[in-house]
Amino acid sequence: MRASAALIFWLLLVPVAQAKTPLFEIEIRDHLFQPSELRIPAGTKVKLIVYNRDPTPEEFESYELNREKVILGGRKANIFIGPLEPGIYPFFGEFNPKTAQGRVIAE
Amino acid sequence: MLLDAVVLVLREVLEAAVLVSLLIALSLNLSLRLRWLAWALPIALLGTYLFASSLATITDALDGAGQEVVNASLQIGIYLLIVAIVCCVLLLQRSPSLTSLLYVAMTLAVSFAMIREGSEIWIYVTGFAAVTEYRTAIYAGSAIGAGIGLSVGVLLFAGLRAMPASRSYATCLAALGLIGAGMVMQATLLLTQVDWLPAGKPLWNSSALLSEQSIAGELLYAVFGYEATPSAIQVGLYLGCLALVAVLPFVLRGHDRGRDA
Repeated sequence: MRASAALIFWLLLVPVAQAKTPLFEIEIRDHLFQPSELRIPAGTKVKLIVYNRDPTPEEFESYELNREKVILGGRKANIFIGPLEPGIYPFFGEFNPKTAQGRVIAE
Repeated sequence: MLLDAVVLVLREVLEAAVLVSLLIALSLNLSLRLRWLAWALPIALLGTYLFASSLATITDALDGAGQEVVNASLQIGIYLLIVAIVCCVLLLQRSPSLTSLLYVAMTLAVSFAMIREGSEIWIYVTGFAAVTEYRTAIYAGSAIGAGIGLSVGVLLFAGLRAMPASRSYATCLAALGLIGAGMVMQATLLLTQVDWLPAGKPLWNSSALLSEQSIAGELLYAVFGYEATPSAIQVGLYLGCLALVAVLPFVLRGHDRGRDA
């Protein structure tokens, strides 16, 4: 009885916990991030979906966020970020580092 | 575009070139033949092609975690192969039959490293060389980047060969342990990125002291897996993986001595 109650508790809790992860989306167009500035809550894990609208591949990269992921042309990629201390975390497109620049602002 | 291509390809080539140089130097120190290298190249090429051409499917697999899981598996695989290589090398005098296992481990370790780095170069070069205006810059830049990366590997190799044999041997084993531990640490970052591992707070921030973007930072990244803001999980795993390789000489020698008695 107690085991099944625990199971129901977890079954209820797990989707809730996942649904609580805030979702943010950015696009890559013409080797630029849009928007190039992303404000996220500090101290919270967020899920970032990056859509690459260019025909060419791109690599989302950030030394400050410790993230790197190749996104093929016309595809999308999920990247989890945080929980972060308040601050500014730059990211860039490694395949077009001069233009594809952006930053995450945790506040 | 030319400079971007140089930097990108250099970064990728560097990591694999350091590992290949160490293993070639180690083989020569042990008077082994280099035929494992002849096996590694075709395996790496085939693996790179398969990985790069199915990246879209891989990325969407496992609820969007496929790319990270494959890369992390390759990195953890390299660490385990390095452990196997170090074990084989330490026991080689006593059990010459381990030579074939050593060849297999070296072949796979180098192949895995080349697949990881090669697939990114492949995607970059094929993706941008398809655009006519970029083509020349991409090809020229990639060739220059690869040339510099290989030169660093050759220099490292020359340095290792110039040392007295016993020191060169010890340096190779120590560097392999560091590279392996760095790989495991990088793998944890990838698994955190897809939420397979929990994210921890950084233990310290040494980016002001030594930026990961600097040349020294990149080199240290290639050899030691340098990370300016590591979490407790990463530091713990790094030290644990390094310690495991470091105790192997003592454990295996003790084992040998036990057998002598």
